[in-house]
Amino acid sequence: MKALLLLLVLVPAAAGAQTFSQRGFVEGAGVLFPQEAPNDSTRAVGDLRVRDEVFYKPAPWIQFAAGLDLRANSHDRVEKSWRVDYSDRGVRDPRLSVRRLSATLTRGGFTLDVGKQFIRWGKTDIVTPTDRFAPRDFLNVIDTEFLAVSAVRGVVQVGDETFEAIWAPRFTPSRIPLLHQRWTAVPPAAAAIPIADIGASLPAGYEAGVRWSHVGRRIEYSLSYFDGFNHLPAIRSEVSLAPPRIAITRLYPSIHAYGADLAAPTPWFTVKAEATYVTSSSELSGNDVASGNDAADDYVLYVLQLERQSGEWVFVGGYAGEAVTRSRTSLVFAPDRGLSRAVVARASYTLDANRGVAFEGAARQNGRGMYAKAEYSQARGQHWRATLAAVAIGGHADDFLGQYRRNSHATLTLRYSF
Amino acid sequence: MNRFLAFVIFVIFVSSRYAGGGVAYAADDARTIVTEAQHRTDAKSQRYEGVLQVFDAKGKITDKRWTFERLGSHGQSRAVLRFVAPPEVKGVALLVVNHPDRASDQWMWTPAIERDRRIALQDRSTRFFGTDFSFEDLEERDVNQYDYVLLGEESIDDGPSWKIQSTPKRTRSSQYTRSIVWIRKDSYAFARIENYVKDKLVRRLNYSDIQNIQGIWTARQLEMFDLTRGSRTRLTLEKLQYNLQLNAEDFTLQAIRRQ
Repeated sequence: MKALLLLLVLVPAAAGAQTFSQRGFVEGAGVLFPQEAPNDSTRAVGDLRVRDEVFYKPAPWIQFAAGLDLRANSHDRVEKSWRVDYSDRGVRDPRLSVRRLSATLTRGGFTLDVGKQFIRWGKTDIVTPTDRFAPRDFLNVIDTEFLAVSAVRGVVQVGDETFEAIWAPRFTPSRIPLLHQRWTAVPPAAAAIPIADIGASLPAGYEAGVRWSHVGRRIEYSLSYFDGFNHLPAIRSEVSLAPPRIAITRLYPSIHAYGADLAAPTPWFTVKAEATYVTSSSELSGNDVASGNDAADDYVLYVLQLERQSGEWVFVGGYAGEAVTRSRTSLVFAPDRGLSRAVVARASYTLDANRGVAFEGAARQNGRGMYAKAEYSQARGQHWRATLAAVAIGGHADDFLGQYRRNSHATLTLRYSF
Repeated sequence: MNRFLAFVIFVIFVSSRYAGGGVAYAADDARTIVTEAQHRTDAKSQRYEGVLQVFDAKGKITDKRWTFERLGSHGQSRAVLRFVAPPEVKGVALLVVNHPDRASDQWMWTPAIERDRRIALQDRSTRFFGTDFSFEDLEERDVNQYDYVLLGEESIDDGPSWKIQSTPKRTRSSQYTRSIVWIRKDSYAFARIENYVKDKLVRRLNYSDIQNIQGIWTARQLEMFDLTRGSRTRLTLEKLQYNLQLNAEDFTLQAIRRQ
C-alpha cells in the first residue's frame, strides 16, 4: 500500500510527459427521496467522492496503473475507518480504497495484466449477462458502479482472433444494499422484526475464465466460459422467535457460465445479442453451509438489443429475457435477473458541445415493475459538470423493480474533473 | 498537406463522367492530380497533438485536445486518436483501421465504463465527441475509393487551385453524396473540401497555415464548418512529426484499452 501511495505522489514529478497520464475528479451529490421507506426515514442523502488515477509507462512494453478513491456519505454508507481497503469485500463503501493497481506487459500481440483491474465481457449495454468478472457496488441499486477484481489476465491477439484467459485467485463480491436502508426492500409484515446481517460466507477458491473473440468485417462475436462464483449473493435467512429476529447470511454459489455475444452492424442499426447459461453446483460455497443445500437456479439469461445513432440522438433498446432450467427455492439478490423479462431502452441527445440529455427505462413484461430516468447534464469550462437526474420507480412489492416503488428520487451531482 | 490527417478527408475523387456545369476536363487529369496529392503525403507514420476549439452558433468556445498517431499510409493505415483534455474525457480513444477498398473499421474506447464499442457504418455521420467532425471525417481515404471530375481552377486564399468533384464509388459507404475539393497547384496540398448530401452543402473544411514539414506540405490548421448547425471546429496541429518510429502493437483494440 505504501508503494501505491508513493507511486501516486512521486511519479507525476519524476515521469516524463509522454509516459505519464493522470485523471481524477471530486464529486459531490445530493439525493432527495420524496417518500420514506418502511425501514428508512431518511429522505436526503449527501455523498462525496474523490478519485485519482495515474498511469505510468516507463518502457513501451510495460505500464503501471494505480487509482485511489476517497468517499464520505451522510447516511452511513461509508466505513468510518481510515484504513486503505484493497479487497472491496466490506458491507459499506470503504473510506479510502484502492480502485485499481495493476501492471500491463505487452509483447507483440500478447498482453498480460496483473493486479487489481477492471475486466469487462460482453457487448450489450443495459444488461450484460456474460460479464462475469464485473462485480458492482449496489448500495444504490439504480446508480451502480463497477468494482475491480484481483486477477491475472492474458490476451493473445492473432489477426482477427483474440484469446483471453483469466485467473482470479481471490473472489470479489458485489456490494449489496445495506439492510437498514431503503434499497433493501422490507415487506411491511416484516418491518417490525429486526433483521441482522450476520455476515457473508465468502468462497475461498479461485475463479477462472476463457474467452475467444472474432472480429469480422460484418460481425463480431465471442464465446466464453466462466468457472467461479456468482458475485451476486444468495440469501439464507433464519428466523428466531425469542427474541424475534431474522438473521441474514450472504452466500455465493459456485457457478459455471457458458456465454456468447455478438454485434452485427446492419444498414439500419446495430444488432447486439448476448446470452449466458448459468449452472450452479448443488452446494453453496462456504464452510458453514450444509452439504446438499440447493440454493441457486440454473438459468439462461439473454439480451437482444438494437442500437442506432441518428444526428445527435443515440438510441439503444431491446429485450432481456430469462429461462429457468432448474428452479431451486432460494432467496437471491440478482439485479441482472431482476431486469430480465423486461423491455429496456436508453436514448441520449447531445444538445451541444457542453450539454446533453438522456432517458433510460425498463418495464417488466408482466407490468409489475418499471423504472424511468431522465438526466440533464451541462459542462462549464474545462473542469466542471453539473448533472440533474430524476428517477421514477413503480410497481408491485413482489417485483424486483416494483419493490423499490418508494425510492423514486432526484439527484444533483456536481463534478470537478482534473 | 495533411494526409490522413485526420479529419482530413483525404479524400479525393475521380470520375469518368462529368457531373457539373462549366468546362469539363478529362477525368484522368483529376485522378492524376489527386494521386499526386496523395503521393506527396506518403509517410510511414505521423504523430501530432491536436488543439480543438469548438465554436457553437453563438460563438461560445469549448476547448479540447487529443493526440493522434498513424502507422502506414492511406488505405493501409491504422490510427489512434486519444483525448487528453478536457479532464472528463481523458483517455477516450478511437481506433481507425483504414482499408484500400472500403470504409474503415472504427472502435471507440470509453474508460469510464471500461468498454470498447464498434462504430457502425450507419453511425459515422454523427459528430465526434461534440466536435464538428463526424466519425467519417476522421478516416483516411484512398484515392481509388472515389471517382473524380476536374471542374476547373479557382484561387483559395490567393493560392491558385484545382477544383475537383469527387463521388464515392459504390463500394465506398459514405454519408456524403459528393464533395468538391480544392488542391493547391503550387504544393498539391488540400485547400478546401466541401461536402454535399444530395445537393445540400453540409460541411466545409478549410485548410490553412500550410507548411513544409519534413518535406510534406501540411496544413497546420483545419477548420470544419457544420453549415446545418452553424457551428465550427478549429483544429490546430502541434508537435507534428512524420516518419517516426511507431509500434504496430500500439494500434490494436488491446492497445487502446491501455490508458
